[in-house]
Amino acid sequence: MSRFKLLRKAISVGVVTEKYPYEPLEVPPGFRGKPRIDPLKCIGCGACVNACPPDALSIEDDLVEGIRYVKLFIGRCIYCGRCQDVCPVEAIKLSNEFELATDKHNDLYQVVGLRMIRCRVCGRFYTTYRQLENVLKDLPEEQRPYALLCPDCREKIASLYTSYARR
Amino acid sequence: MSRGNIVKIFKKSLWVFHLNTGSCNGCDIEILNVFAPFQDAERFGVKLVGSPRHADAILLSGPITREALPRALRAFQAVPEPKIVLAIGSCACGGGIWYDSYNIVGGVQRFYEILREKLGIEPPPTFYVPGCPPKPEAILYAIGVVRGLLAKKQVAEIHIESLDEAMDRLREVITDEYHRVIEEYVLGKPLVRKVVLKEV
Repeated sequence: MSRFKLLRKAISVGVVTEKYPYEPLEVPPGFRGKPRIDPLKCIGCGACVNACPPDALSIEDDLVEGIRYVKLFIGRCIYCGRCQDVCPVEAIKLSNEFELATDKHNDLYQVVGLRMIRCRVCGRFYTTYRQLENVLKDLPEEQRPYALLCPDCREKIASLYTSYARR
Repeated sequence: MSRGNIVKIFKKSLWVFHLNTGSCNGCDIEILNVFAPFQDAERFGVKLVGSPRHADAILLSGPITREALPRALRAFQAVPEPKIVLAIGSCACGGGIWYDSYNIVGGVQRFYEILREKLGIEPPPTFYVPGCPPKPEAILYAIGVVRGLLAKKQVAEIHIESLDEAMDRLREVITDEYHRVIEEYVLGKPLVRKVVLKEV
């Protein structure tokens, strides 16, 4: 191709460079960007933590204060969207945001702290208030009071009643 | 080196050296895209150079494998001061999906610990660009943040529920009837009380 032809071709095509940093960019539909936990919806069940392949999501129980911390580290996230698929209350969602560059490592964290409830019998923290609320919705009326006990106490009491029944 | 200093020092052309430390080539292809005509990073004076001795910044991709560690250390020493690092992708930011593998150092944070221990070098200021891989525009945005053209958006978000808020939600669901049932059928039985309270 001669130089003149090349010039003509370049002029006919025009400028292809996008104006991104000066103009906002529209992402395609279904784009998987930064995940965010909605702190008002999350119940702290840990389904997303089980599903997360790179362990970007983690869960930690503070049994002294009675707070369950759900931590999201975006620096390790691979944007697969599995957490969004398994969340029972649609609390975690992938947004359209991709402008995540930062100069501080701590900026990449999101922490949600949820209060835990004490067992009615032994006084141990065993689940979050919100998860209990969510579970109570699906339980039959006569079983609901037993949701106020921790799994260990419930097991002990259940085994006690069954042993009565055998006699 | 503070944020304002970085903007002042790298006000003019930023020459970058692309350092692949065992990445899957996803991030590398996005880095090449940034320098292609469509997302033209050279309009900001950013140029890809072939030698670390010519570079101002390192574009680090990959989780830093055991094989790549000595080479990465040499490349870090070869870049003249003042320098900055752009950690591209989830692998470089936090180890990615291989963060706990036996042959992986796992992200720049742990790499810097080695840098401090082995060579006694204080790590350079680092910009994290998460993404798997980051969009070319995300890398452009990072360059904009380094150059002071764009403001940083990502901040840590901490939300801790208050106790009153938690209890209010449950008060509507749990009635006094439940507590009465527990008192009567669980705590009220003498045998149950003996067993439960003794073991706890």
